[in-house]
Amino acid sequence: MPERITINPVTRISGFMEIQADIENNIIIDAKTKGIMFRGFEKMLMGRNPFDAVYFTERICGICSTAHAMASTIALENVMGIVPSEQGRYLRDIVHGCEFLQNHLRHFFQFTIPDFVKMPEEYPLFKSDERDFRLPKEKNDRMVKDYFDSLEYSRNAHQMLAILGGKAPHNHGIFIGGITTQATADMIISILSILTGIGNFIEERMIPDIYEIGDYYPEYYKIGGGYGNLLSYGCFDNYLSLGTLYVDPLVYTNNTTTLFNPNNITQEVDYSYFKDNVNNEYQETDILKEKAYSFIKAPRYNNIPYEVGPLARQWLSGEYRNGISTMDRLIARVLEAKKIVSVMKILLQNLIPGTDVQKVYEIPKAGAGKGLIDTTRGALGHWITIKDSKILLYQIITPSAWNLSSQSVDNMKGTAEQTLIGTPVKDTTAPAEIVRTIRSFDPCVSCATHVYTRGNLVYSKQFI
Amino acid sequence: MIYSENKCPEYNNRMKTISTLVNRVKSEAAIGTIKKRNLVWLETNGCSGNIISLLDGADPDFQFLITQMTYFIYNNSLSTAQGNQAIKQLFSVLGQDYILAVEGAISTKDNGAYNIIGRLNGKLITGLDAVKTLGEGAAYVIAVGACASHGGVSAARPNPTECVSVESVLNRKVINLPGCPCHPDWFTGTLAHILLYGEPPLDSRNRPLMFYNITIHDRCERRSYFDQGIFAEKLGDKTCMFKIGCRGPITRIDCPVRQWNERVSWPVENDSPCIGCAQFGFPDAMEPFISYGIT
Repeated sequence: MPERITINPVTRISGFMEIQADIENNIIIDAKTKGIMFRGFEKMLMGRNPFDAVYFTERICGICSTAHAMASTIALENVMGIVPSEQGRYLRDIVHGCEFLQNHLRHFFQFTIPDFVKMPEEYPLFKSDERDFRLPKEKNDRMVKDYFDSLEYSRNAHQMLAILGGKAPHNHGIFIGGITTQATADMIISILSILTGIGNFIEERMIPDIYEIGDYYPEYYKIGGGYGNLLSYGCFDNYLSLGTLYVDPLVYTNNTTTLFNPNNITQEVDYSYFKDNVNNEYQETDILKEKAYSFIKAPRYNNIPYEVGPLARQWLSGEYRNGISTMDRLIARVLEAKKIVSVMKILLQNLIPGTDVQKVYEIPKAGAGKGLIDTTRGALGHWITIKDSKILLYQIITPSAWNLSSQSVDNMKGTAEQTLIGTPVKDTTAPAEIVRTIRSFDPCVSCATHVYTRGNLVYSKQFI
Repeated sequence: MIYSENKCPEYNNRMKTISTLVNRVKSEAAIGTIKKRNLVWLETNGCSGNIISLLDGADPDFQFLITQMTYFIYNNSLSTAQGNQAIKQLFSVLGQDYILAVEGAISTKDNGAYNIIGRLNGKLITGLDAVKTLGEGAAYVIAVGACASHGGVSAARPNPTECVSVESVLNRKVINLPGCPCHPDWFTGTLAHILLYGEPPLDSRNRPLMFYNITIHDRCERRSYFDQGIFAEKLGDKTCMFKIGCRGPITRIDCPVRQWNERVSWPVENDSPCIGCAQFGFPDAMEPFISYGIT
């Protein structure tokens, strides 16, 4: 008889999540990742002023609000037929880069480190029953210090963001055309100065720390691989004169890399708490649906699940191809932080101080558009339809919906679920392997579970 | 871009409020005249942006908060424990002295089924359950951010999960710190005041007067443009943004003085209008956020 383990809450993520794993002979034979919160943003957005989508959708997520500002702005520009200037793109991509750094620093030090480093238990926040801590005292102590020292640098990343965005979280800067304000020479120098400090911290502390953790937990290079299907919508890419500074829209499966095609995305709800979408009409929630277990839907590309995020981007851009595993996922995030610093420096060097990219914009009366962009946790898409100058439909597929997707009707598990299956669990009373692998995805459940789909922008497949 | 002494005494006093309180906490904690108190930071139906904002606090920073000011018992985003042990830790304060901070709205639809915060010995615990269980016995309850204070974005029309404020599910006083998110100073200053002197002076809607007693418009750096009728036509302009939708005149909070992220900027300095995120009724009552050609 398999033993069933339920972990709820999975702490040190954004939002609320439950993991259920069935274990037989110390091997995970089945797993479910369950998003267990819901707010209904897509429904709230219907009928609102299209321009308000930028600041409104930021509130989906407190840790990655800039990502939503980016996707909604690109979607609005797409409807309105606006091509932002290169200066406008540089400016908002710098703001977006600040968020990558804030996220990656906090995820590595505040969310990941306590999985591998024994934190000082005299503080109640750090009390834990976990037993599998392997670092020698001196190294452990150093990483505890890095946990606290990192707070200054993640805070500074938000400070850089606020220089161009007014405040963080939930910035006011990103908008149609680029950002609202003009970057003056002193602002550019301030950002460059802060960025240099963050870059040094990443190279001197963050990168050595993750490789050292890898040395003491080597089996994590062997587990948590899953399907190995990787996808990116691209980011910091396709600039007119700078080309691609990071990653193009690409897809990797079966050892083959192909160009990404947005028409191949579908989304299913067979195992999610939503009414079946027979007529492509509203999908209201249905918490009594028998086979449902999550508020997260099941996005698919060519009908199969994909992993998105730093490892996908590092792999697709050719920056890091050591492997696909729990530890490789953590390493890719840390290496990506370094990469983002170098990308931001190039963008800063190419800014023309004082450029105003704003105009008076008119709300389109009708139209449809999409904004697809890779963000901290991976591929984020916003789809908007406007009618009578109001939002008629708004649909969002987040990176964590890709990674934490529920099962689909063909019984294909979600990406993170699949990474757990086959994993050996040494101690079923403290199943560290499960949470370490799940956290390697940097789950954001507040993002993943806001859905209320209607219409056929990205259609929901039904098999009746 | 470090804050420098301003000639206006009111500005200086406002800026020093927090450091004065915190320094007092430091010195009194050192000689033992005040004691650290238990703090629970509960996340309910929201975006977790307020705990992220708290981590942006600089003076004092998060390390000082959890090591010198409080016994920081629980937070979903930061606790090392997980699963049953985490929820046991959350409820371990019952029967003791503790301060409860809540971020996120309370989803009431279907008895709270849209916001599960964990399991205790197998039983599902909703945000509604947790706030009711912990709220009654807390020495102080602080609603951190817009959603906890008045429903905020989580309760935006048509309010799909029937979200409400923390105070509307409790029969007791709740200190409200509206803002999307809550500025780290507003929370830490309120907490320091509680540790030193108890409840801070509050307005009629239970917001601390030391932060919420002026409107943005009262102290806006672009007020002279308003007074002279010089208005911005688009984002990026340097004059008064009243006619592109600024909600500064009706939003009670001290952003023009305090600013954000160690005082580097704030939305108006960033050439974008205030969207009223610290005022009751945000977001529905504050929309449209941006409009052009209002005459």
